[in-house]
Amino acid sequence: MPNNPYLPQVATVLEVIAETPDIKSFRLRLDDEAAHAALRFEPGQAGQLSLFGAGEATFAISSPPSRKEYLQFSVLRAGEVTTALHGLMPGDKVGVRAPLGNHFPYDDMKGKDIILVGGGIGMAPLRPLLLFMLDNRDDYGKISLLYGARSPGDLAYMGEIREWMARGDLSVTLTIDREVPEWPHEVGLVPQALDKLSPSPANAVAITCGPPGMIKYVLQTLKKLKFADGQIYTTLEKRMKCGVGICGRCNIGDKYVCIDGPVFTQAQLTGMLNEL
Amino acid sequence: MDAKFISRGQLPEWLRSLAARFAVLAPARAGSSVIYRPVDPEAPPRQPELAVKPTESAKRALFPLSEALLTFVKNQPDGKPGLELRETPPPRPCLVFGLPSCDARGFLVFDPVYAGSGTAGKFQDNYYLRRREQAVLIVKTCPRPLSTCFCNWVGGGPASTEGADVLATELKDGLVLEALTGKGARVLDSALLRPAADEQLTAAAQSRAASEAAMPPPVDISGCARALRGKFDSAGFWQGHSAGCLSCGACTCLCPTCYCFDLSDEERGSRGVRLRSWDSCMLPLFTQETGGHNPRAAKAARLRNRISHKFSFYPDLHPSLPGQDGHIACCGCGRCIRSCPSAVDIRRIVTEALGTAAEGAE
Amino acid sequence: MALREQLKKMILEVLPGVDCVIGWGAGYDALHAAPLFMRAPEDVERFLSGPLGAFGAVQNPALFLPELAGKKIGLVVKGCDSRSVVQLAAENLIKREEVVIIGFPCEGVIDLHKLRNKLAAHFVVNEPGGVTAVNLAGDHLALTAGGQEYTFKRDEIMADKCPRCREPNAVISDCFAGIERRADNIADDYEDIAALERMSLEDRFRFWEQEMSRCVRCYACRNACPLCVCRDHCAGASRDPHWLTQADSTRDKFMFQLIHTLHLAGRCTGCGECQRACPLGIPVLLLKRSLGRAVEEMFDYRAGLDTEAKPPLLTFRVEERKIKEREW
Repeated sequence: MPNNPYLPQVATVLEVIAETPDIKSFRLRLDDEAAHAALRFEPGQAGQLSLFGAGEATFAISSPPSRKEYLQFSVLRAGEVTTALHGLMPGDKVGVRAPLGNHFPYDDMKGKDIILVGGGIGMAPLRPLLLFMLDNRDDYGKISLLYGARSPGDLAYMGEIREWMARGDLSVTLTIDREVPEWPHEVGLVPQALDKLSPSPANAVAITCGPPGMIKYVLQTLKKLKFADGQIYTTLEKRMKCGVGICGRCNIGDKYVCIDGPVFTQAQLTGMLNEL
Repeated sequence: MDAKFISRGQLPEWLRSLAARFAVLAPARAGSSVIYRPVDPEAPPRQPELAVKPTESAKRALFPLSEALLTFVKNQPDGKPGLELRETPPPRPCLVFGLPSCDARGFLVFDPVYAGSGTAGKFQDNYYLRRREQAVLIVKTCPRPLSTCFCNWVGGGPASTEGADVLATELKDGLVLEALTGKGARVLDSALLRPAADEQLTAAAQSRAASEAAMPPPVDISGCARALRGKFDSAGFWQGHSAGCLSCGACTCLCPTCYCFDLSDEERGSRGVRLRSWDSCMLPLFTQETGGHNPRAAKAARLRNRISHKFSFYPDLHPSLPGQDGHIACCGCGRCIRSCPSAVDIRRIVTEALGTAAEGAE
Repeated sequence: MALREQLKKMILEVLPGVDCVIGWGAGYDALHAAPLFMRAPEDVERFLSGPLGAFGAVQNPALFLPELAGKKIGLVVKGCDSRSVVQLAAENLIKREEVVIIGFPCEGVIDLHKLRNKLAAHFVVNEPGGVTAVNLAGDHLALTAGGQEYTFKRDEIMADKCPRCREPNAVISDCFAGIERRADNIADDYEDIAALERMSLEDRFRFWEQEMSRCVRCYACRNACPLCVCRDHCAGASRDPHWLTQADSTRDKFMFQLIHTLHLAGRCTGCGECQRACPLGIPVLLLKRSLGRAVEEMFDYRAGLDTEAKPPLLTFRVEERKIKEREW
């Protein structure tokens, strides 16, 4: 990142992938080739994406550091900036401030069974972690992914997920909220599907990301399954502006999600003030 | 360090001469308020308003209400998508004349945050830091406290020199100006000033002592960080104190230590600016997430954050001496109290959290 | 029985049937009152306990009604405050049956901006916050500051809205303390607006540029307004449409006031809270009064007098009596 933390780097949109009716992934490359080559980031870190005129918003980097040719952000269309971003076409210019924040401690997870639990756009920060682990498959034990969305069409990254399902070295469970004809996978909310899968907490970590309501019940289910707070990781979403711990809005007590997060263990969250 | 004297009559001329080198701000009366107005070297000389504590804080000198961080041009001349970003050039060095000591101490709260204390200096806000480095602050001894003043609760005093470059003390016919830093000494190097005589220095010292003596004794608020942490989940406490709150930003806008900001873009055609402007944690939109969730949707939660940030979160993040509470992010200027349409009193909230009676808070 | 005692007795009677009664208590010093939310009988002791009594009861408690919707609330009101309650009910922003209104004959309230201006003439005092003792006796207010006593006539530090007030008694109330004040001989000549209009357009614009230049966009004016209903969808913050710049632009700050004023045309009751709340003393009530006069002249309508009335700009007639668009 340049000396001025507010100055984005100019990047070009290489590819736009329509993941679902309201999620698009943007693959970007920094225009400054040397800067792109020097880009170092970790799974779970975030970035600020600028569409000048509309503004800037924070997103998880959804590509893994092991795939360096592009930097990917997946964007759920919800507000002014995200709606504007959804209009981007290949060749368009954006501003990027990345990486920001902490990351999933994948080194601490080595040798353990990994349970990834995602809901909706919450798959975005899990994707780089999963791809990183698949790129370093021997370092990890059993890898399971549980991913849910409202309907089949709302599941992002389905092209890749089909490839993952074809691999023998991870188990993938998909679930949708309500039954639809010819859906071969699970039906029901993510916490219920997790309960049914009932992963063992022995030498395992669970990483969950999704809407606040889902996280709340996933945490309850994990507790019921005897996962300790230190075995559970999640990422927090807050309204952010500066992304560098100065502008003062993403705090929970004396912790700033932009710099102390976005990744927290449940043990850390339990020790923090109750203002999610 | 140098001590000089300037007569009241020559003061406007001196300020005008400084305006050739600095963007000078000095207190001026505007309606029923006193605000910091630029000194125009071309306009007729004007006496600054020194009798009244300024209604607003001096923070705009280093943290403007709104400033352009970047300008952008989106399209190349051939119409193809492009993006050219330019950083705003550094502004003129600023000099603030006649700010009360609390205002100068307010910047001590900005300094570590903008120097990147949250990221161990990795991300520094150079827009602030370069202004800060060049700025000259001429603090004026506060003659007598207002009912809302409590600078001495939080380590300040009416003649505190912390964060200041020059300390000015009013005498009957003019001001004694005592340099506190090299920057301060350089601005006192003017033919309009003459060395302060011994009796003027004595009179200034007496005036300062009288100012100190006029302050009611401070209330001991040590332990406030812990006490407020303990009150965090007391919904009734915060609902009670916030009942009269209008959720406006008068307290934060006039506060010398409130440093939160918003970033937003403005464009015309394919050109525009990215602005940084004051924001307020008391406004509901401050934490409103795009997805609809708002962690501080209730005004009680917002008031809790404002008070706790100043007296608990910030001190926890910015420890001072071992064994002492951290640096309290409040300079005791009392503007949040006197500008509040509902007279919400931050002192009462802190003292009630501590469980002590607010003696001297009237 | 003194007015305060009568009101306290009524509040105690109302209290068991409501969630709380909102009135005024002593603020942080003798000159400042604060909204008081009385829930228990002991809270009532703090009602109007400051030395200014009802003269210090500046805030409009009707402001808090919309956010307390669904609860039964007791409200002590001055005449102007009662008009806000009426207007809120007329616009269905509150339910009349959820409010128990306690009225009293208001004799005017202090204007601390005015007092600040008066004090500025005295070099030593200079601020209401510098006042150490207050004594209101009859028509005079005696203040002690810096060891000296200063006396002001009550009228010269009274809010401008008070001497011209045509409804000093609550226009609607469930109980009323004291004897109603006669006000049928009082008229509003809108002289403040007339004076402004005698200025040339250029001078008037300069006046507003000068006044608005010290606005810090704290939005106290907006948030103190009982009739300001846009809340989180305020034109001051909206990005789509993007009405106003976030740059430090005096003209856009003025534009915000004009938008606010237009939203309040035919709705503003002239309670003056916008201007009182402005920490920098910008006279924004003038704008609302200007439109209030226009509405009064054109539609013979004053907001906040009748819960059944339709505000003229929230409805229309095919033929407006004073708009002669077919007679061009």
